[in-house]
Amino acid sequence: MSFGALIGIFLGVALVNNMVLAGFMGICPFLGVSRKVDMAVGMGCAVTFVMTVSGVVTWLLVHAVLTPIGAAFGNPEALYFLKYVIFIMVIASMVQLVEMYLRKFFPSLYTAFGVFLPLITTNCAILGACLLIDMKPEYQNLLNATVFAFGGGIGFMMAITIMAGIREHIRFSDVPRCLQGPGITLLMAGMLALAFMGFTGIGK
Amino acid sequence: MTLLLAAAVLFGITLVFATLLGIAKEKLRVEEDPRIPAVTEALPAANCGGCGFAGCADFAKAVVEQRVACDGCPVGGFKTAARIAEILGIEVVQSYPYRPVIHCGAKTGDKKGVVEYDGVRSCVEANVVGVTQGCIYGCLGFGDCVASCNYGAMRMEDGLPVIDYAKCTGCGACVRACPRNIIESIPFKQERMLVIACSNKEPARLVKQVCTVGCVGCKMCQKLLADMFQIKDNLAYIDYEHYAGEEDREKVIAKCPADAMVYFGKPKPEYAEMLRQEEAAASQPV
Repeated sequence: MSFGALIGIFLGVALVNNMVLAGFMGICPFLGVSRKVDMAVGMGCAVTFVMTVSGVVTWLLVHAVLTPIGAAFGNPEALYFLKYVIFIMVIASMVQLVEMYLRKFFPSLYTAFGVFLPLITTNCAILGACLLIDMKPEYQNLLNATVFAFGGGIGFMMAITIMAGIREHIRFSDVPRCLQGPGITLLMAGMLALAFMGFTGIGK
Repeated sequence: MTLLLAAAVLFGITLVFATLLGIAKEKLRVEEDPRIPAVTEALPAANCGGCGFAGCADFAKAVVEQRVACDGCPVGGFKTAARIAEILGIEVVQSYPYRPVIHCGAKTGDKKGVVEYDGVRSCVEANVVGVTQGCIYGCLGFGDCVASCNYGAMRMEDGLPVIDYAKCTGCGACVRACPRNIIESIPFKQERMLVIACSNKEPARLVKQVCTVGCVGCKMCQKLLADMFQIKDNLAYIDYEHYAGEEDREKVIAKCPADAMVYFGKPKPEYAEMLRQEEAAASQPV
């Protein structure tokens, strides 16, 4: 596996098939925590961390625990039905870890996130990344899986930061009354997704 | 067989993660005073920021650490202060609610030097441009304060914000929203308070050029009630620590040559009756 292919995987998941803007996963924090750029970057970092670690750990659990144990008892895929349960448990544990860490070392960020931090647990982008890694045959080696998960997190961070930047500016704009608040935000999200469609074809 | 295996595997993995989290919790422990959540519980949970802190939890922390007084929550008022005092085991005395007033009385017709302004309809932007009207201290009238009010207690009327004190909680959002710092939170010792409705610090000649109701700094009020009124930078200020009685106040208002003093809060009973009749007359079918 060459270095170029890794770059291809990274760009593929960060730009072309961006989790948020092309896959429509993780919309909740994308709209909820994108009011200020610094908060958006913090959220992006937290999600990137959780996604990368969960991607690696779930990959390890599938390939080093579920498959060998299943194989020892005759059928390597016998325990695959446990995947969802285990994935969610891994993600929840990682979120707990991040929460404790932030609370200890970045209390202001911790208070700023509020309820959105525990909600990373149910961020579908993260479970989505784990399942995508598990689904596609080209991610059947750990390095590829790691790069994919990391790229997914970076893509999320990029999307939410751009969104926060636009929202900071839109505060000074004369938005029609009927579109104020969620309306204009969803419109902007849609336009951002359209813009990201321009990346289609990169890496071919 | 598969079921037993699955249970065993799940149990094993769960055990590993539980142990990891347990160790992490010990390593990353944050010491917290048990009174902080108790005080947070006692607060109104509006998270309006009226106390000057980021939210109710932040304020609770500051109170428990005795950085601020326990009556700092303008929304909860005396009741909340008493409950916090009970938790902290201290005594509390009656305090006055703080409510915003506007230090500008220039309605649309009173302003001079108003120019056509086509820019962004917000005080923040207009204040940067700075040439929308003659007075560089007075209300710009684009209603940033009205937009900032979370309780629907403000509206624009004739170029000036009007506060509905029945709805106002004193959270101070409007005070922070005003780019010219015209809005101030003052202690409402009575239902209606006398306020200097001007912020112009220029000498009389220049004030007259831009406004018909601006304070000219004539010191008349200070001569009559030296305790209550101070003159600084050609502008009168009221010291609410020494708030004078009704009669003295009426005398000063009658003497003020600029009409720069107005009452904020509830109208007097006789005015209230008059207003009610006017409203009734207006609502009758023609």
